[in-house]
Amino acid sequence: MNKKQIAITLGIMCFALTFAIVIQLKTVSDNTAPLHQSLVEDSLRDEVLKWKERYDSAYNELTVSNNRLEEVRKQATQNDVTSMAKQEEITQNNMLLGLRKVTGPGLEIVVADNNTGVNPDGSESLDLSLQVVHYNDLLQIVNALNNAGAEAISINDQRVVQTSSITCEGNVIKINGQRISSPFTIKAIGSPGLLSGSLNMIGGWLYIMKQDGINVQSNQSDNLTVEAYNGVISYKYIKIKK
Amino acid sequence: MIFIAIVIGCVIGAVIGIFTPMIPYTYSGYLAIAIIAALDSVFGGIAATLNKNFDLKIFVTGFFGNAILSILLSYLGQKLNVDIYLAAIVVFVGRMFNNLGIIRRYYLTKWENARAKKEQNVSEKAE
Repeated sequence: MNKKQIAITLGIMCFALTFAIVIQLKTVSDNTAPLHQSLVEDSLRDEVLKWKERYDSAYNELTVSNNRLEEVRKQATQNDVTSMAKQEEITQNNMLLGLRKVTGPGLEIVVADNNTGVNPDGSESLDLSLQVVHYNDLLQIVNALNNAGAEAISINDQRVVQTSSITCEGNVIKINGQRISSPFTIKAIGSPGLLSGSLNMIGGWLYIMKQDGINVQSNQSDNLTVEAYNGVISYKYIKIKK
Repeated sequence: MIFIAIVIGCVIGAVIGIFTPMIPYTYSGYLAIAIIAALDSVFGGIAATLNKNFDLKIFVTGFFGNAILSILLSYLGQKLNVDIYLAAIVVFVGRMFNNLGIIRRYYLTKWENARAKKEQNVSEKAE
């Protein structure tokens, strides 16, 4: 190989190398590229999914451990009357706190957005926002149910407990930090007649929602199951006053 | 001649690189690996030249072969959900440091020899 050939080969190689380096520098410095954003979004979504998976598996473990704890407690208190009473008390308290799956008679309500834009009387709705279920509707329903003596309430299987909040986050509704969306299934345990009456009476909240054109169904039931609260109730500030 | 060819190649590459459209960000990782592989070959070539066993054929095939192979391996790693590109970076950068060490040692001995010669000359003059 003579010198000319060597020079040309090296020139081509240098050309390729600088070409690649310059393109790479340009690409890296321009981090507003839409593709870059979507890549970040994808990785964030991956992360969320991974954490969710981890949360689910940890939660399953927690359930298993809780069951074991329950068994151990039962065995330990088998031959002791006072501890048996204590055990009963703990179970009772957990039930009241919403940490247990409970069953009983009650009311099941399904409210869903009306996407047709038509009122019940056949006229066209002037304000489509009225035909969408807002977080305020859920708050009002929960409030009315509590007022009518509901003992356990869940919305889309999210138990309403003492720390529950129902918030509006843009176009989704969050309860217990979990996103829920239409249709909303609200289950409440209590006197079916009372619960139904408090909402369906003229001026009751379900009556108002029906008037606005939202799809509302409510069924009284003798046997309703309300899921347990699947979060952790933690406290940092409260203490018992002596 | 060779030096001029290198400079011309670099300048043309930079100019064309500035005026070409950007590549998608997803592929820039592969390009980065290729650049690292190519740079490794360049340092290897310099070290070989200093050791007087430089072979242009080996150099050229290593330059392009390593770049392409590293891209393919990174792609395979992406498909298998294994970060193979990390291994490629470790190998190439490690070799780069090796070659830089060879280059450094070569020039260091050269410099020391030159200094020793100078001192010898000075002492000869003093005598």
